Amino acid sequence: MPDAFRPTLLAALTLIGLLAGCAQKPPASDPAALAEYNDTNDPLEPTNRVFYAINNGLDTVILRPAAEAYRFAVPAPVRNSIHNILANAGTPVQLSNDMLEGKPRRAGDTTMRFLINSSVGLLGAFDVASKWGYPDHDADFGITLALWGVPQGPFLFLPLLGPSDPRDAIGFGVDNVMDPFTWLGQGAAVTAINWSRFGLNAIDQRERVLNAVDEIKKTALDPYATFRSLYRQHRQSQIETVRNDRRATIPIWFPQAVAAQQKQQQSQ
Amino acid sequence: MMQRNMISMPGRRFFLLGCAGLAGAMLRPPLAHADQAGDASQFIRQAGDQLLAVVNGPGSTAQQRPAMARIIDNVVDVNGVAKFCLGRFWRMATPAQQQQYVQLFHQVLVTSITGRIGEYRGVQFKILRAVPRADGTVVETELDRPNNPPTKVQWVVQKVNGSLRIVDVIAEGTSLRLTQRSDYASYLTRNQDSIPALIAAMQHQIQQNAG
Repeated sequence: MPDAFRPTLLAALTLIGLLAGCAQKPPASDPAALAEYNDTNDPLEPTNRVFYAINNGLDTVILRPAAEAYRFAVPAPVRNSIHNILANAGTPVQLSNDMLEGKPRRAGDTTMRFLINSSVGLLGAFDVASKWGYPDHDADFGITLALWGVPQGPFLFLPLLGPSDPRDAIGFGVDNVMDPFTWLGQGAAVTAINWSRFGLNAIDQRERVLNAVDEIKKTALDPYATFRSLYRQHRQSQIETVRNDRRATIPIWFPQAVAAQQKQQQSQ
Repeated sequence: MMQRNMISMPGRRFFLLGCAGLAGAMLRPPLAHADQAGDASQFIRQAGDQLLAVVNGPGSTAQQRPAMARIIDNVVDVNGVAKFCLGRFWRMATPAQQQQYVQLFHQVLVTSITGRIGEYRGVQFKILRAVPRADGTVVETELDRPNNPPTKVQWVVQKVNGSLRIVDVIAEGTSLRLTQRSDYASYLTRNQDSIPALIAAMQHQIQQNAG
């Protein structure tokens, strides 16, 4: 992004935010409406809706057509390989978060995935590791913060990034800082690599939800509210999946594990 | 280790008896639950087979629609789900509005399911497990569609008027009825809590998506 463009964009976004203002809180005389307002936890709803409209417009003219063209021009196996390579390139961030979450078995899975897919999987093009018992999983700093007990905060709809909340917005920033690609250095080649990766990632992600998003826009009476609800539920389920992964640190095939299990049974 | 040394011989016998009693007490509810879970799994298997027979069967989507509607009526607690989705606004609606709304909800449900038949051609499903919950049983399944990664779908099954019915579908952690409820709630809040406005919007939506 050119430097001169950034402050202008920021100023424009802030202005829109100020113009749109805050949501009207229902009076205390209507407890059901008030409870719903608190549950929804979207005090910036008018501002969020403005950003939703902008994003939706950009999506209609840029991202969705790009994703459709991608689906039309590139056969599914190649698209899958591109997706796998992108996922493999995200290993450092995923691994760091696995460790920060305090989930060593997940970190182990991520490491095995990287080693297997980078070699046997031809630089990540084929997800061999999943077939060998190391399935992919979600890990980002938003999830890490949630496990550390940081509350979610109010709903946010961010320009370009879409549905979020303060916790996930910070998570997104930290993930970018954690990403070694951010620190590759300078120069035209590095910039080109980073932007292609960013663009390809966006098109890949969008292509994967083409039908689902079309369906929601067609069937929802208020797509904004539907996306808000889906985003929250989906994040919550991702967080719970990580939280409930309580596999023992010592693999079951390791002799020590059997000994430890016996010891545990004896002490009970 | 400490505990074992502290218990003397007669004490240990009581301790063991106590353990046996405790085990017995703990065993009984899981047995009842196992029944409940087994019934729910069986029910989902039958419902799934019926749906698959239509989805993978002959005929155009329009021809499949009546068969689909019949199955949905038999396996889904449509009235209960409709009421849930209207949330706090259910009590604000007149009986006539409630009736009209439930009827429209039924049509929306059938339309949205039949509208997606194309996507699910060739689908296979397997039941992973059934977990009893306070308000029913959650049956976990895995759907395998050609050219798609497998998806985990959970079916919440409850006993409604003596027979098992699906009350919710949870796909990738997102509950269908919760999402629908927040959609309607938001629409109503933005339209002065007007039930007629919601009914009009639903009618409009059915007309639009019918073709």
